[in-house]
Amino acid sequence: MKKNDKRSGKKAKTDINVNRKRTIKKNMCVLRELFYLRMHGLMVFRLDFLAPFFVDGSLFVIQLLAFGAVYSHVDVIGGWGRGEMILYIGTFSLLNAVNMTVYFFGVNSIPYKVRSGELDLYLSKPVSPLFRLTFENISPGSVPLILMSLCIVAYGICTLRMPLTLPVVISYGFWVLVMTVLYYELEVVIRSVSLYVVSMARLEQIEEAGLELCMKLPGIAFYGVYKVIFYLILPYGIMATLPVQSMIGEMNLQTAAYGIGVVALFTAVTAALWTQGLKHYNSASS
Amino acid sequence: MQSGFIRKGVNILGKYLEVTKTYMKTQLVWRADVILNMVFTVTKIIFAYLLWKMVFQQREMVGEFTFHGMMSYYIISSFLSQLEMSEGIGREIHERIRNGTFSKYLIIPVGIEKYFMAMELGIVLFYVVFDFIAAMVWVFIFRIQFVFAADNGVIVCAVVMAVLGMVFMVQLHYFLGLLTLKYQGIGTFLMIKNNLMALVTGTIIPLALFPEGIVKMMRLLPFYYVIYLPAMLLSGKCEEEAWTGLAAIVCWCLVMQFIIHGTWKKYLRKYDGVGI
Repeated sequence: MKKNDKRSGKKAKTDINVNRKRTIKKNMCVLRELFYLRMHGLMVFRLDFLAPFFVDGSLFVIQLLAFGAVYSHVDVIGGWGRGEMILYIGTFSLLNAVNMTVYFFGVNSIPYKVRSGELDLYLSKPVSPLFRLTFENISPGSVPLILMSLCIVAYGICTLRMPLTLPVVISYGFWVLVMTVLYYELEVVIRSVSLYVVSMARLEQIEEAGLELCMKLPGIAFYGVYKVIFYLILPYGIMATLPVQSMIGEMNLQTAAYGIGVVALFTAVTAALWTQGLKHYNSASS
Repeated sequence: MQSGFIRKGVNILGKYLEVTKTYMKTQLVWRADVILNMVFTVTKIIFAYLLWKMVFQQREMVGEFTFHGMMSYYIISSFLSQLEMSEGIGREIHERIRNGTFSKYLIIPVGIEKYFMAMELGIVLFYVVFDFIAAMVWVFIFRIQFVFAADNGVIVCAVVMAVLGMVFMVQLHYFLGLLTLKYQGIGTFLMIKNNLMALVTGTIIPLALFPEGIVKMMRLLPFYYVIYLPAMLLSGKCEEEAWTGLAAIVCWCLVMQFIIHGTWKKYLRKYDGVGI
């Protein structure tokens, strides 16, 4: 009897593993097809192909110029020198580049699809709607933006004259990855609101204003109420700050735990808001 | 004969005045936009406040600025940049040429450029009061000891320069919109232009913090006189540049008018009225 139970338990475990593998395989196939479709669409409008690179690239080059001018008059700002600031701008640019390349154009279309009722098509397909929405508008034209960001990061490291060890690179890479997830979740959370309300243009404006501010200002500048807003409510302030702090050795255990905690919190909020939001969705003109 | 001429002039002015009035009234429909426009001026001020507060903790002067002088500059430049709303003109023309509805402007009995000028005037006149209130509120909240120009001549000069700067920006966006007749898609270019404008008009940081060579080069461009110089003049700096600056922006407005005239004559024939 016990032997039978053990065997059936093992079988159930194997079945779960097989199903999981199948789902991953299916999602990979879907991802490949979405990429081909996207490339096909982009080739129709070739001029727009590199648009994200030029638009966002110019934005971060201007940031570099502006802070270059400030640092020609001062040596440090809040304990950070020119090198740290370049690293910060490069890291924010890198997060933005990954965002633009992988998921921005997909996630950004959620409110429109909810308003027009196009989300129906996503709900009726045998693949997770959020998965498809996330990856259906990959932008290969933004890949040069990733390369440019890495160049800015390298320039920051050179300016700092810091030795680059493997643990430092791994730690930086880990935090960039974690913050990419946070960036994605913040975008989904804000756009999921469209499942509950009629218009969410204001919320997008708030997102834009918060991002614009934190793009220019590292988290170390925030204190008091600003810290509550940009470290917890709209945590854009920690997005590029934590990877930089991990690289320059300013991160302690408390900061690391806080960063992970915020990401975990937003993962839960995103999942809940999206799942519940789909229940509110009333098809066209919701 | 003379009264007929005057009557004709008044009629023409009345026509554009109606456009201005209509756009002023239209703004009332978007009341939430008005409030948010006021509120969002604060992001520029927060950026300046937090950044320069950190910087001025270690020193009393940066370039020729004290902390309160710097904040006064940001309050004025933020007020002026918030009033500069002509970007929509370029986009409107771009969209209408692309979908073929630009014909509307060819049919109505007004000069298209003047129509957009009147439209911009209506929007600016509506927002000027609210943006002024917002600026005063930020001065109060951030406890800024506001530094303002003392010389009346300089103040008048700065106000006229800021108005001419806005006229120039309307001309620029009108010209960029017309480029759709040749290049079909200018959306990307408009976005890059916005990024560049933030730097060259001194809304991110005052241009005075750049090396002297770069500032000299900027003086040759019209953008120096759109927000940066009026803001500097109103915060009591660069007073020696007031009259030359005014002359420079007048020249740029005239040059831009010639460019618009040439572009209009050259490319209008490409417009087919059916969209691209």
